[in-house]
Amino acid sequence: MRKLYSTLALALVAAMGLTMGLNAKADGSEPLALGSEAPAADLQMRGTDGAMYTLTDVRGEKGTLVIFSCNSCPWAVKWERRVASIGNAYRNKGFGVMVINPNDPARVSEDGFDEMVARADSLSYEFPYVADSTSRVARAFGASRTPEVFLFHADGRLVYRGAIDDNASDANAVEAAYLKDALDALLAGKAVSIPETKALGCSIKFNRDS
Amino acid sequence: MKRKCFVFLAFLFLSCDASQTDLQLIPATAAEVLDVIKNANANVVLVNVWATWCVPCVEEFPDIMAVYQQYKSRGLRVVFVSVDFEDQADDARAFLKTQGVDFPTYLKLSDDRAFINTLDPNWSGAMPATWIYDGEGEKRHFWIGKASREQLEKKIRDVLPH
Repeated sequence: MRKLYSTLALALVAAMGLTMGLNAKADGSEPLALGSEAPAADLQMRGTDGAMYTLTDVRGEKGTLVIFSCNSCPWAVKWERRVASIGNAYRNKGFGVMVINPNDPARVSEDGFDEMVARADSLSYEFPYVADSTSRVARAFGASRTPEVFLFHADGRLVYRGAIDDNASDANAVEAAYLKDALDALLAGKAVSIPETKALGCSIKFNRDS
Repeated sequence: MKRKCFVFLAFLFLSCDASQTDLQLIPATAAEVLDVIKNANANVVLVNVWATWCVPCVEEFPDIMAVYQQYKSRGLRVVFVSVDFEDQADDARAFLKTQGVDFPTYLKLSDDRAFINTLDPNWSGAMPATWIYDGEGEKRHFWIGKASREQLEKKIRDVLPH
């Protein structure tokens, strides 16, 4: 319980910092450090199937994959079929998978709940696609863009954060499949060889009222 | 050859009225963008990474141009870097035209990871992203997300010599 209070307090502090105007990290605090456990793991978010989910709920025996993504960002759209493919495949291999939409639907109508339901259906997601409409989970993670990946080891430690692969525009031209490589490393009981990558993406449209 | 062309174009940017060059979108690596900043011969350099598909980027663009018009006589230079996809370069040029951009701007070359880490290791890749450099080429401000005109002015005035 003390840990939960600490997590919530950190999220609150981060949220307060973000509402105090433009600064060096205007739309996100420092990203979750490698080795950290998932923050805000007991915050409930509504999935496109109508059920409520927490990160704890979806934790997998092989590890847990969390992707901040959305309907509206063209960069996220370019990767979304790969998100569906990887998410479905590795969920069947024992990973917990959750895609979190952190955008405030009041700021981006395309990221409204009904639109999320339609997108999850069209992409045949077999894992929760949930709305973090208060952006509290994204802030707790220090996420700043969509898409942005966080992969946790089965023991709960963050072992990879960053991009899905090195080519948003063309799945057939990918030279470095960062996320798949990290997932396969966990399956093989090996260390993730590239634990951190970056990619261009859309800044998260944080909820300013929470 | 490409490198020579870039140096030549950068020279044009620094030495003459760019509207005469009709070159609004120059492919550039992050290292080349940093060279432009370093050699800007300005009191303040605002660098903005944008894309036509990035809604907040497009929304803040007119405010950046307005601030540029207001402060260019005091030594403000603006360096726009588009990260539009290759097949959207024409859209980017058309947008620049509608915004009245009459100076060279740049189009990202090289892969994302190298571009991000070279331009600023502290940048996650989220857009829009904006940096303010002083006349010595030192980074003074950096933020991601859309800024208002008032916020832009405040940051620029903070760095402009008094």
